[in-house]
Amino acid sequence: MLNVFIDPMRIVKPYIALIVLLQLIISGCEIDQKEILPEDGFVKIYNHPDEELALFPESVLELSGGGYILISAVKDENADIEYPYTSLVRTSSTGEVMWTMDYEWYAPTSRLLFQNGSVGFVAMNQQFDAYVILVDPANGTVSDQQALELTMPLYSYMDDQGNLVVLGYDFVTRSSWISKYNGNFQLERSNMLPVNTDLEYLVQRHLNKMGQDYPFFIGEFSNSSGSGYFVNCFNNYTLRTVFLDGTSLSATGDIYSFQTEEGISSILQKSGSLFGLTSYYEGNNYIIPGSEIDVLSSGNIKDLPADPLYELTYKAAVMAGSFSADDNEFALFISQTNDNSLVIYQYALESDSLVNTHVREFDQRVEVRDFIQTEDEGIAILAGTFILGKYQRPLLIKLPLTLFVPEEE
Amino acid sequence: MFYLRGILFPGDKTYFPFLRLKQVNATFLHKICFEKVRRTEITLFILLGLLLTNSIQAQESGFLNQLRIGFGGGANMAHIIDLEPYNVYEDLTGTTYTNGYTEVFQNLGNQYFVQIEWFNKYLLLILKPGTYTYRFSKLNEVVFSSETVEQETPYLLRYFSIPLEARYSFDMQRLRPYAGGSVAYSNLLGSLDASTATFIKPKFTAGAVAGTYIDLRYVILDLNMGYHFGLHNVTNKADRFETGRGDTFAQDDIMLNELQINLSILFSLQKQKHYSNVECFY
Repeated sequence: MLNVFIDPMRIVKPYIALIVLLQLIISGCEIDQKEILPEDGFVKIYNHPDEELALFPESVLELSGGGYILISAVKDENADIEYPYTSLVRTSSTGEVMWTMDYEWYAPTSRLLFQNGSVGFVAMNQQFDAYVILVDPANGTVSDQQALELTMPLYSYMDDQGNLVVLGYDFVTRSSWISKYNGNFQLERSNMLPVNTDLEYLVQRHLNKMGQDYPFFIGEFSNSSGSGYFVNCFNNYTLRTVFLDGTSLSATGDIYSFQTEEGISSILQKSGSLFGLTSYYEGNNYIIPGSEIDVLSSGNIKDLPADPLYELTYKAAVMAGSFSADDNEFALFISQTNDNSLVIYQYALESDSLVNTHVREFDQRVEVRDFIQTEDEGIAILAGTFILGKYQRPLLIKLPLTLFVPEEE
Repeated sequence: MFYLRGILFPGDKTYFPFLRLKQVNATFLHKICFEKVRRTEITLFILLGLLLTNSIQAQESGFLNQLRIGFGGGANMAHIIDLEPYNVYEDLTGTTYTNGYTEVFQNLGNQYFVQIEWFNKYLLLILKPGTYTYRFSKLNEVVFSSETVEQETPYLLRYFSIPLEARYSFDMQRLRPYAGGSVAYSNLLGSLDASTATFIKPKFTAGAVAGTYIDLRYVILDLNMGYHFGLHNVTNKADRFETGRGDTFAQDDIMLNELQINLSILFSLQKQKHYSNVECFY
């Protein structure tokens, strides 16, 4: 009886040493792990021990020498000024804090910019006047500041040519205010888009972090219809994405929605007239991974075929951007879900096909604020989280490139 | 197919080990568990086969009287050596937060194994394949002005290990004390606990053992104690932050040392010698 068992084992026995050797080699490779570096992927939460501070992260920038700079708006419950002040955190390439610096500039806007070796941000003084402030990335000291001749800055963006484009709100004329500056921050062109109603209270509550956080943003497009900027702002009673001519800043087209309760939460140009965008309406979120949009005409957001994203939080902020991995181009839409997860939708850039969905669960609520592709082709995501469910703090997540490279079938 | 958390994402087509997707196919999950159990069974089957083959061969070649087989179990205490800490929390005012592991005497685990011994007059070679379970916790703190929050995250790691021991024993009639060295290869068994992903599968250890045999005529007891040094980092560097609870902590680079106390019962395959005439009153 036992021979049935023993005889095959006798046959196998000479190969056991080989199998054991192979197992040891495989184990040795797994133990080695030298190719995995700490800066490839990490999670960091930046805590301030003062419970009365709430930190609202705005933007992240990778420095050429390695490491990151994060900008946050800091809301102090006991402060006399209701608007949050600015705080910068410089980290190493593995996310450890190197220095922090607070500035008496209020309601800093996304995004951080890098100009002539200095890190810059746009914020306002107590009189709502917008300034660009440049700091030395080595220690955070202010090296320069310039008035932007614009009020209530809501978003800032540096284009591929090094020009600064800033969205503000003019409470006198009740208009969205878009200005373009050259590399020396000299005003080149400005345009007012009338809102036709008084939304100053909503804008104030957006700036002082007391009300709804509106998805104001600026981006660039270029196709056969011309090149220019798309700006998400208040215009003609609604929250609307306006396409502007790159030179004159005059509006060429737009996508409008229902008043301020509906809107586009993110948009990116995929190629030519193909755009990918996300939107929200009555608390639900939608994605339009690829749609032909005419930047020279006006259209209703409801005319675009959209897929619902029920998993996303109420009026979820979504960060959209292109991403290259191993010579493949993708469009990423990053947001947060109702079950405290951060979610990344990875679409092919040239089409509307979904390549992958990545989810990272957290103990507490997270709110995505910004992301960048890093020099090592991974991505760094800046979000806000709530330590113990109550203290709002910045969260920086670095994900490796390997996560986004599609598996070969 | 059903969804563990009730959410369907548009891209839930591919599973990525770096981030945990919510969509889980229950059948698939069971299959994985079944596969893991089957793999362990196959390994045990092969080992048993080898043992029997050796036994038969030993019998044929007259080695039977040099073999002993038995089983044993015992307790262990995991001694975590922190090679490089990784803390999720960074304090913006420069304060350093506690980030470490529980002390050795708090980490009580256990093991069960089959014991196979080959011996000559003083030298013994022992294989102790079995299941070795280790328990320890990660300790983290977050400091606020009016409170310090301490977090403890427990771990349970279950390995299938094959320790090989070489012992030199001293003949003291019924007692045969010994001392020796040990090397072991271990493989981390699967678990539904997501935090297990923060550890690599293989583990190599080496250490020293000491103890004594107690000859009870028909069976032999082996009382054994050993300290085993981890030979490498057991943390999975790629997934050190995939603790299943993303914003609480990260797994440090650690070595898993262990203190073991075991008791085994051994059966000789050949009739035992009699040590004394005192018992032979018949």
